[in-house]
Amino acid sequence: MSRSLARFSFAERAAHWMAAISFIYAALTGLSLWSTHLYWLAAVLGGGPTVRWGHPWGGIVFAVVLGFIFLNWAGQMRLDADDRKWLAESHKYAMNEEEGLPEPGRFNAGQKMLFWVQSACALLLFASGFVLWWPAQMPRTLLSAAVLIHPATAIVAIAGILVHVYMGLLVVPGALHGMVRGEVSRGWAAAHHPKWLRETSKR
Amino acid sequence: MAVVAKLIDVSTCIGCKACEAACQEWNDNGFRISGFTGDYQTHETLAHDFWNLIQFNEVERPDGHVAWNMAKYQCMHCVDAGCMKACPAPGAIFRHENGTVDFDHDKCIGCGYCITGCPFDIPKLSPVTQKVYKCTLCSDRTSVGLEPACVKACPTNCLTFGARSDLVQIANARAETLRADGHEHAGVYNPQGVGGTNVLYVLPDASNPVQYGLPADPHISWTVSLWKGPLKWVGNLAFAGTIVGALFHYLRFGPKEEEKEGGDE
Repeated sequence: MSRSLARFSFAERAAHWMAAISFIYAALTGLSLWSTHLYWLAAVLGGGPTVRWGHPWGGIVFAVVLGFIFLNWAGQMRLDADDRKWLAESHKYAMNEEEGLPEPGRFNAGQKMLFWVQSACALLLFASGFVLWWPAQMPRTLLSAAVLIHPATAIVAIAGILVHVYMGLLVVPGALHGMVRGEVSRGWAAAHHPKWLRETSKR
Repeated sequence: MAVVAKLIDVSTCIGCKACEAACQEWNDNGFRISGFTGDYQTHETLAHDFWNLIQFNEVERPDGHVAWNMAKYQCMHCVDAGCMKACPAPGAIFRHENGTVDFDHDKCIGCGYCITGCPFDIPKLSPVTQKVYKCTLCSDRTSVGLEPACVKACPTNCLTFGARSDLVQIANARAETLRADGHEHAGVYNPQGVGGTNVLYVLPDASNPVQYGLPADPHISWTVSLWKGPLKWVGNLAFAGTIVGALFHYLRFGPKEEEKEGGDE
């Protein structure tokens, strides 16, 4: 039996990294306009007018890719009874004391929550961002709502992604390799997604 | 330098539009074709290349007659300017020493946030240059001691340019005269919701500015104030908190075990 397990298909990985790159571009260009103290980011990314032009297009790419990810993964991201129990005791997971926690399947409840939060944020960012893209054509009430919704949602989305990146890069060794090459070891699966390991092994 | 202002005495405006022509000419905005909507107003509203409009507001009076309230409409050069508050590009919207709010088009990025920030709906985005334009109070004239082009052209002295403190006195005196003449609600329009404006109006009926095409109680939208105020702190705390939290988490708990026995049964 092979030591490695197929975890993410090529399509899943391609979509994930397309989303990652477009998110980072949209986040950095967005942050450059968030505060004048971060306006130097705009200079690094091509100047103010370039940032103003590119940010919506980065957002469009992200929205399209995230739409694909949503359709692909939504079915697997439903929270079951085990997930709710896991979430209630997620402080144990944060302290690396997984004993007694329900065993996660392909995605743990934290990953599922990230999925739903990011999907909701993407929807709000897309809708409010589209309004802000065309200020001369939009009614003032929509613009007034959008200038508040867009940054407020972005704060949630960026904070969520910061946690996601931290966990993927540092907290769970081997996770990055799984998302880059699509493979994980059986030992890794046993440590982090034991229910998924059992299910895939049965097949 | 004293803060300067422009006073518009609506009671003496005859709707000749000389100020519109002077504005177009001085600012090189040129001739502009408008649509015809069945009234005497030259254009429906302001545009990126049209910064000064005489509105012909038709208002029904209590006696049943129609009053024609002609009122000049342009940037108000607010003391608390919503466009400046909303602008993300440092220096793109700035205030001259004399109080005039002006745009630096080399720095403008065309995001249009100022359109949302302005309670008077003044700044307009050019579809050609993707920059925003509005009345500059002829800062290129006033800086060398000339009065704005619109004031220069006005044939009835309806427009006055000068030190703001002087104009406030002149406006109050004129309102007093109008009241003595029977316009019992005559008054000065200098809305405090935006900290006052550097364009002042004398209105024959100040109890209802809307009949002259002016908002009754203009103020910067609360969403803009929330976005540029408390939300900024919430966001900065969220970002810094997440990063510092992750650092402390890693120092305290570190990475999880990478592999576990039992994968190869």
